[in-house]
Amino acid sequence: MNKILMIALGILTSIGGFLDVGAIATAAEAGSEFGYQLIWAILLGTICVIFLVEMSGRLAAASKHTLADAIRERFGISFYIIPLIAEVFVDFLVLAAEIGGVCIALQLVTGISFQWWALPVAFAIWILLWKGTLGLIENGISTLGLITLVFVFATFKLHPSLTQLGAGILPTLPREDVTHYLFIAVSILGALISPYLFYFYSSGAVEDKWDEEYIGVNRMIAGVGMGFGSIVSLGVLIVAALVLHPKGIQVDSYEQAALMLTETFGYWGFILFAASLGIACFGAALEVSLDTAYIVAQTFGWNWGESLHPKEAARFSLVYTVFVFLASLLMLVGIDPLQLTLFSMAITTLTLPPVILPFLVLMNDKSYVGEYRNGWITNSVLIFTIALAFILAIVAIPLEIIGG
Amino acid sequence: MDLIRDVLDNQLVDRNQHKIGKADGIILELRDNQPPRLAYIEVGMPTLMGRLHPRLQRWIIALEQKWGAKHSEPLRIPWSKVLDVGIDVDVDLEGEATTALTWEKWLRENVISKIPGGG
Repeated sequence: MNKILMIALGILTSIGGFLDVGAIATAAEAGSEFGYQLIWAILLGTICVIFLVEMSGRLAAASKHTLADAIRERFGISFYIIPLIAEVFVDFLVLAAEIGGVCIALQLVTGISFQWWALPVAFAIWILLWKGTLGLIENGISTLGLITLVFVFATFKLHPSLTQLGAGILPTLPREDVTHYLFIAVSILGALISPYLFYFYSSGAVEDKWDEEYIGVNRMIAGVGMGFGSIVSLGVLIVAALVLHPKGIQVDSYEQAALMLTETFGYWGFILFAASLGIACFGAALEVSLDTAYIVAQTFGWNWGESLHPKEAARFSLVYTVFVFLASLLMLVGIDPLQLTLFSMAITTLTLPPVILPFLVLMNDKSYVGEYRNGWITNSVLIFTIALAFILAIVAIPLEIIGG
Repeated sequence: MDLIRDVLDNQLVDRNQHKIGKADGIILELRDNQPPRLAYIEVGMPTLMGRLHPRLQRWIIALEQKWGAKHSEPLRIPWSKVLDVGIDVDVDLEGEATTALTWEKWLRENVISKIPGGG
């Protein structure tokens, strides 16, 4: 395919795929409770995720290894088992939360309780994985995700004050609710630095047969795509800050978050919010289900590939089939989707150290990435991210208990 | 060649480039008055779990023998069948003809093909 077209498509899908249930929920909560004060957390998370996604793609293009393959090979099963179990567990919670996001969107539009939607939504996800190809999922579904740009559009219509926005770029502590503020900051970072992205992205790159020629394409997609994607997240935060914060509405359910677009779009704002939430979560649910099947199959060396017919990769296809329906059970029994989302974001941060630490070794190992190994800038950002991951992992649970 | 770095835990592919598992274990043969000889690459869940904990290995063997394909014997690939050690380890075998894919085939025939669109 033409390189420019590929980059454009990649950037579009990154923008469309950037938002998921965690990003929407944490940004909405941050904006409604603390105004612009947590903008810095989104910017910080974005920088970390850009670098990590770029590295996952570069690893795949230079070494033809997925991240999961490379970690097991380089560190052996005795280490790899830790990030593996952590990742499958977190994927399970996040998938349930994403399915919950789609169900809530359907509830907002139809009035029928989200629990009733759990199985139909799981079935829709499964049928797309069963029948679809990687191209359909990467390009088709994420391009639909461009509807989330309504948050950016609404931001412009609401004319936020630039000086106040600028003040949010630097981290400051609020006068009250400090622990809750820190808890949301941690949740934002947990939502943006999602480990499933790295495994998924590197598997997709190997499935699309990337080689060294794609190093530049990869850098553009990761940098520009994820960069623009985070603008959508910022849009959610700013709109929540402008619409919900002055009215004193705190987002403790998605129904309240749905009000944020009504000021700009009237009744249609409600529908647009539901559509954005539903599509963003549906796309993310596809990615998380696939991610789990990818890493389990890669752990044991089974045949894998989303574009293969299920009978060519029986064990791989069985993993996502079982996983999607099991995760939907959490919604079927009526666990609150928003609570589950915030909880799984905090748990995600716990798993970050074992997932991110191997990057430091792999991305500097000539036998994997050859001449494309990290330079001092990427290594500095990586070491900073690892330190951040350790801090987040240590403070996440105490903050969850005190401030969550 | 560095056995642990280049072979252990690497992807195994058969002569049709189909994935047949990972190099879960490496077996050396000890001989009297001679240096040890590389004998086999071992493939299978019990071998892999045995590297984590013997109890896990016993559980997985019991599980694999009781359910589904009722097969838990690891596949031993003689070192002479190894063609190339690179990104993957290429072996001169027909994956479908070995026991490495017993479970894949069992699931394909008994589960996947029963689901609409899977046949």
